[in-house]
Amino acid sequence: MSITVHIPTILRPLTDNQKRVEIAGLNVIDVIEAMEQQYPGVKEKLVAGGKAHRFMNIYVNDDDIRFNDGLSTRLNDGDSLTILPAVAGG
Amino acid sequence: MNIPLDGPLNRPLYRPLDCLPGRPMDRALSGCAIAGQLKSTSPDFASIASSLHYQSTALGMEIETTENGSGSTAFSFGFKTPHTMPVRCNVTRWRNPSRHSPVTENTMQAACGLMSVHGRASGKLQPLGLNYVSTLTAALALQGGIAASIGQLRGLSTLNSNISMGSAGLLSVAQYIAGATASESPETLLPQHTAHATGFPFVSLDGVVFELETLDAGPWRKFWSAIGVSSAAAGKGWSAFLLRYAKAISPVPEELSSAISKFSYHRLSQICTSTGMAICPVRSIDVRAQDEDSKRIWLQGPWEFLFETNFKENLRDGRSSRAIGDLPTGNLPLSGLTVIESCRRIQGPLAGHLLALLGADVIRIEPPGGDPLRGMPPMAEGCSARFDALNRLKTIREIDIKSPAGQAEITDLVRHADIFLHNWAPGKAVLFNLDHEDMVRINPSLIYAYAAGWSTDSAGHASSSSMPGTDFMTQAYSGVARKIAENSGTRGGSLFTVLDVLGGVVAAQGATIALLNRCMNNTGARVTSSLMSAATLLCADDFQNLYNLPGRGAPASKSIIVNIYITKRGKIAVECRDLKTLARLAEILDAVMYTESDFPQCLDSLFLSRTANEWAEIFEQAGIPSAVVIEDLAELQTVAYLQPDLSPGPYTKVNSPWSFT
Repeated sequence: MSITVHIPTILRPLTDNQKRVEIAGLNVIDVIEAMEQQYPGVKEKLVAGGKAHRFMNIYVNDDDIRFNDGLSTRLNDGDSLTILPAVAGG
Repeated sequence: MNIPLDGPLNRPLYRPLDCLPGRPMDRALSGCAIAGQLKSTSPDFASIASSLHYQSTALGMEIETTENGSGSTAFSFGFKTPHTMPVRCNVTRWRNPSRHSPVTENTMQAACGLMSVHGRASGKLQPLGLNYVSTLTAALALQGGIAASIGQLRGLSTLNSNISMGSAGLLSVAQYIAGATASESPETLLPQHTAHATGFPFVSLDGVVFELETLDAGPWRKFWSAIGVSSAAAGKGWSAFLLRYAKAISPVPEELSSAISKFSYHRLSQICTSTGMAICPVRSIDVRAQDEDSKRIWLQGPWEFLFETNFKENLRDGRSSRAIGDLPTGNLPLSGLTVIESCRRIQGPLAGHLLALLGADVIRIEPPGGDPLRGMPPMAEGCSARFDALNRLKTIREIDIKSPAGQAEITDLVRHADIFLHNWAPGKAVLFNLDHEDMVRINPSLIYAYAAGWSTDSAGHASSSSMPGTDFMTQAYSGVARKIAENSGTRGGSLFTVLDVLGGVVAAQGATIALLNRCMNNTGARVTSSLMSAATLLCADDFQNLYNLPGRGAPASKSIIVNIYITKRGKIAVECRDLKTLARLAEILDAVMYTESDFPQCLDSLFLSRTANEWAEIFEQAGIPSAVVIEDLAELQTVAYLQPDLSPGPYTKVNSPWSFT
């Protein structure tokens, strides 16, 4: 199952400067684990304490995974997974 | 600017050191004075003069009001201490001296892009309805005078501090300009094209307008679930909610507004309590003025100072070498001084940025791996443009402030620093063993500056202390949001970070004031400022009227025309403060004025014959306040008269608002 992952600028040094990568996985954490194999260091930036890092937003087709099943959110073939640094308050 | 140096503004205020008031001192600048035409200056500068009067009074300064003004194109005042030559503080409309167009608060907001940022949420170009640029200008002008005096005490010969209203206005939107001009995917957020929210602030079943706030997705999810909103819609709302601080928009799905409007405010408050969400009604200034702490904070001014230490080693001419710090390494007044900054988001980092612009070496503490906001799009050369706009001049040290080793590292840095600046949540400083009491033990000459959310009152602010002290909550609680709403025809405040920016200026100003006090009196200090105290500063005139206290001059009368007109190309903001100006406008437009009330609307079609730039040129010649309205912030870099304030590059940077000679 192929998922398109959109990489933010801040993480591109870890992904050989690629803006998009194709990764296989059944859910979000699967994809992150697979990315970690190919691009070591990515997982630490996205996951803290078994949950999505507070300062990173992860979207599946524009839907924030925090409002679905978090890192267990299921994926379908062709889904896009977008990672965006969160914007904090003032 | 060529202003004679023998007027009252420049008469020195020499006093022997032993004439200074003794410790403890309740006012930071007792013994200092401000001299100038503070009561009857030209209308362009009247609000600046009024705010200066308020700030100077709060600082315990003598006020020497003069009648001889500096003309209608500039406003000057002298800042005097007992130990320095007077500093002449020159305030102009624009940094570019060749531009003479009269201005008003509203035309300034139009010309600097502030009106555009504020208008993103409502979809309409509109002024804030607050004397915002004027208040910022006054605070920065006073800070410039204070900084220049510090420079003199440290061996520099700075006699003039210059600032313009335009520079202050651009500074206020510096991070939005960075976002609009970033080299990678710049933002184009025009008021007429942004998705207009029906959301913030929400309205309850019983008609209460209120703000919601949380810094975490958990409470947000629980709250919307409790009122029956689907998780998917709540998630869309969360994404929109997060856009507020960075982009000044918040396109919340209609489903949320609709669901929340079926509950009473009381019931919503209960749900907030059980889900961890914060809620605050949008209150009026009248209601705020009745709070127990309100009048005291108004009288105190936006800073709370505590001068409790006195160090006298190595006295040189009555002053300690620790008081004046290391000798300047450059021409800027704070050069050679060290600031340790542990701040996140906007208010605190802006305060550190301003101190860096005054020459200080700012060491910024970030968590291991760096501040996550460095990655916030849009990017410019690998860093968030918006983040860089507030942090580009700082040296970064990555330290885990929660660990004992990290705390020891900070303590070590502070031992040799001049200012420690933080904006941690209440209680964190004690938790980290990095409170004022901890630091003053290792560095008695330290200025400990806290840029807080709610209150400068160390006892806390009972009714608001459970809410996160963020910009939009403070706008709601303080009365600022209601005032903006009344003037903008909206339900609530601005998604432009009105108080974060002014709060940052006030925090930097407070630290600079405490530094001057240290230079003069060998005294370290704790200075606390807050978003709430910035709100009080912004509405100082309203509180004065509500408390029925003696005025600082005649209140400004309402303008006859304050309007934005569509032209052949672009829009123009026009303001006529009096009948004479209105008559000139009518003559230029060849318009017949039947009644004052319907006149502004009658003009609509007449403006279509020329472009906004052409009208602006004509109105400048005629002395009618006007400005081409900046809609796309990227346009600012093409406006000739703004070029001295901007630096091109990977994103357009706003230069220091000050120049010193």
